[in-house]
Amino acid sequence: MVIDRAWRGLGPGLDSLSGPGGAPLTRTVKLIVLPLVVRPSLHPELAADFLAPPQAARLETLIREAGARLVATAQWFTLLKKTRRALGIVAGNPQDLYFQLCFELATEHEEPSNGAEAVARAALVEVANAAGGRTVEALKDHLADDVRRSRLDGDLAAAWESRQTAPAGDADVAARAAAQAAASVLEACGAPGPERDSASFEAMVEGGHGSLLGRALWARAGGGVSGAVSGAVPGGVPGGVWGRDDLPAHLKLTEHLVPPRPEVGRGASTATLPAPLDRTLFERLFVVLQSSVRREELPTVPELVRREVGRSCAPLGLHDESLRVAVVLGGRLAVGLDPLGDGDSVPGRTAAHRAVNSRWQREASVLRARRMTVSPRPDPDGGVLDALARDLRTPWVAYMRRLWVRLHGRDVRDAPLNDMASAWALLDGVARSVMMDHRARVRAALRTLSATAAPTVAPTAAPAAGQRSS
Amino acid sequence: MPEAGQDIQVTRAEDGTVDGTVRVGDEPAGPDFTRAVLDVAGAVLTWPVLGAPGAPGLPTAHVHDAGRAQQWLWALYGERVADAVHDCATGTPSGASAGVTVAVEAVEAVEATTLAGGAARLAFGHWASRWWPASYMEGTAGLEPGVLGLELAALTHRCHQLFDTAFDDQPEPDDCAAELIAEHQTALDLLVRWWLAPSQPADTARHLDSVLRLIDDAADSAGLDGPALRHLRASLDQDQPRPAGTPVDLGTLFARPRGYALAAGEPLTAGSRVITRGTGGNDWRRYPPGFVDAAEDAVSWTVRAVGARRRIEVEVVADVAAPTAGAALVAEVRVDGDRAVRVPLVLRDDLWTGRADLSSLGLDLDLGPDRGLPSAAMPPRIEVGVLLPGFDPGPGAPGDAAHRDAVRALARQRLAAAARPSPYAGAFPEPFLAEIAAVAAVEEDF
Repeated sequence: MVIDRAWRGLGPGLDSLSGPGGAPLTRTVKLIVLPLVVRPSLHPELAADFLAPPQAARLETLIREAGARLVATAQWFTLLKKTRRALGIVAGNPQDLYFQLCFELATEHEEPSNGAEAVARAALVEVANAAGGRTVEALKDHLADDVRRSRLDGDLAAAWESRQTAPAGDADVAARAAAQAAASVLEACGAPGPERDSASFEAMVEGGHGSLLGRALWARAGGGVSGAVSGAVPGGVPGGVWGRDDLPAHLKLTEHLVPPRPEVGRGASTATLPAPLDRTLFERLFVVLQSSVRREELPTVPELVRREVGRSCAPLGLHDESLRVAVVLGGRLAVGLDPLGDGDSVPGRTAAHRAVNSRWQREASVLRARRMTVSPRPDPDGGVLDALARDLRTPWVAYMRRLWVRLHGRDVRDAPLNDMASAWALLDGVARSVMMDHRARVRAALRTLSATAAPTVAPTAAPAAGQRSS
Repeated sequence: MPEAGQDIQVTRAEDGTVDGTVRVGDEPAGPDFTRAVLDVAGAVLTWPVLGAPGAPGLPTAHVHDAGRAQQWLWALYGERVADAVHDCATGTPSGASAGVTVAVEAVEAVEATTLAGGAARLAFGHWASRWWPASYMEGTAGLEPGVLGLELAALTHRCHQLFDTAFDDQPEPDDCAAELIAEHQTALDLLVRWWLAPSQPADTARHLDSVLRLIDDAADSAGLDGPALRHLRASLDQDQPRPAGTPVDLGTLFARPRGYALAAGEPLTAGSRVITRGTGGNDWRRYPPGFVDAAEDAVSWTVRAVGARRRIEVEVVADVAAPTAGAALVAEVRVDGDRAVRVPLVLRDDLWTGRADLSSLGLDLDLGPDRGLPSAAMPPRIEVGVLLPGFDPGPGAPGDAAHRDAVRALARQRLAAAARPSPYAGAFPEPFLAEIAAVAAVEEDF
């Protein structure tokens, strides 16, 4: 509100950074005003949701002082958008891509003047090339070399052989213990208020609880479905790793009884990606390169490939222990999710479960109000909608897939989870994504069902807005 | 819109779990199809559709992320409510979990009332795109999805303050201006032609102008491009002075894809005799929009005696835009409260029809002692519903029919207002472009 008022006080000239009513765009606030003008790291007292009058005044002053620069930023943004169209660049959201760049240009050059168009052109080309060859195409080329492929294949074989495995019985007990430790962390995640104690999370990381689960998967621990199919696992714990007999320890992170040795691979398609631990080296990196907003932060392609050899043969396909622990936490959370709200009582639901499940209920009521329902009960005539409902009855499959992709993306960037708050933010965010995926699928299914056979004009030049990777 | 003196309840959800939900306003009542909802940053907003027309009032907010919601709470409800939500969510300062009543102060800032009005309109538009009770039988014109979708894109852009987007985060599903524009690009040329047409009522011209400029701005912000958008931009650019476009006839512009002639039922089977017939059971919640005419008696059925067999025939009047291929509806038939059985329906012309032999379905009609005549005292009670398998959330509440009537009345009222010579005047909320177009298209029909 303070920002809004100060912004309007700056007067005209900010159109391209403002919404139709004159308020600053959300991205203007998030990408420019807060990080570059207010800079809470320099002014921690300005970081709060609610500001006392002296801080509010300070904030207004900061914004007012940046007025001229913001007007120049707006002009640069208009120029960049125009140049972008002229260059025929369509990829990416221009606000995300250029807002901060425009502020830099405004700082360096003030308002665009003579020669500004050349500067804009150069800046755009630089942004477009920022990926620096970190592309799927480069990965394809890199892995096309037969000599390199066979060397990587040998490396994978060696790394896989030297894995540290554990006897099934021991692994099983350890994994069960990890899942139980996860329950208390999830309970703590739910503690209201800001002072969430990270100790239980840190203890799991120090205790290597994520690695324990990873090794248990290799040892085919956990009874569950795999046990039911092939007879009880010797030494298996009743109730499986996750406290439910009907669930395999791997929660469909693999389609096999145990995760197979990763292959090199030479292609991938978003629609047909296998379960995370069944993915080839190519497929794992394909997802990273395809969905990355800030690819310039990634290692180069040869380095990515080299590291992925070791990573893919590590427990759960992840290097960092805090990320592996997040798999345990996510698994424990996922098995207690109840998207259909049929109240199937699952033992040991935690505060985290209650939070996510209540969000699912809210989502269900929104979907009913938007006439986008799926029948809660199985319906053999239900076709594609029934399939979507079926996915909601096994929510851990979608949850674990999405979770693993996020964790893998962090691992590739060397971004561990440093405390419980960031772990919970990630777990919660994945739950939200799974929910949004469901809504998007229902919408797409209904659109297909309602499509008339009558000739309709195909929409032209549909952008890839809102594309999400799995 | 916020009015001084109005009281608003701010309550923490009973379950009091993690980051417990804070509710602003009263718990919404009424069936699903009477609620206009909006997914915004940190909250879900709900307005009653059947509230006082012209004054949508303030929504109920279920705030699940008070921090993110702060970006708009103050502008929608005023500062005091924003403070109360903050206190409630953080459990400060005292006894906040019990909830507080906040007297809404007059929201002075112009943008605040604009936001409240825009949000209510956006939510209503989303509602209309799903529940608008289009009915040939009752003469309630349907709304062109493209025209409505584009106006929703414009409104979404106008209400950008409600949404919160960041790099790694997924946007709220209703923050979909770009998707709506992309989806309905083909309708964009229609709107441009409408806008360029001379002899436009001034209000309509203004309305079109504002929608198109918002779309252009939204597309520009999101980096969308395409022939329709370029054409729009070029048209907007040369607006000074306004070029005389070709006169267009709205009726032709928005003509419905096909004529409508209710097919007569199939000729009676020789030797058959009607035992009983009836109508009803049109629960909108059980199938997606665009399948069935919204009239209450769009669903009708006849039970015939054909020799010794008892046959039920179900006829459902289709929506004008019903899909001719793909999904198939079924009728759910229940005799005397027995187990329901399904009869598949096929769309032929303007009717979904299906028939079934009742006894082979395991349904017995009590036809009286002579097994030939229904007993006059105890006619079988037959209930027929129509639904899409896999979609059907289950039957609604018995009182829903009255709410459906109210929704039909609302739609008729709005269309009547849109048909007036000056549809923008008066107490009624400004009509949607799709409503103006719908009225024009209907006038063309008659």
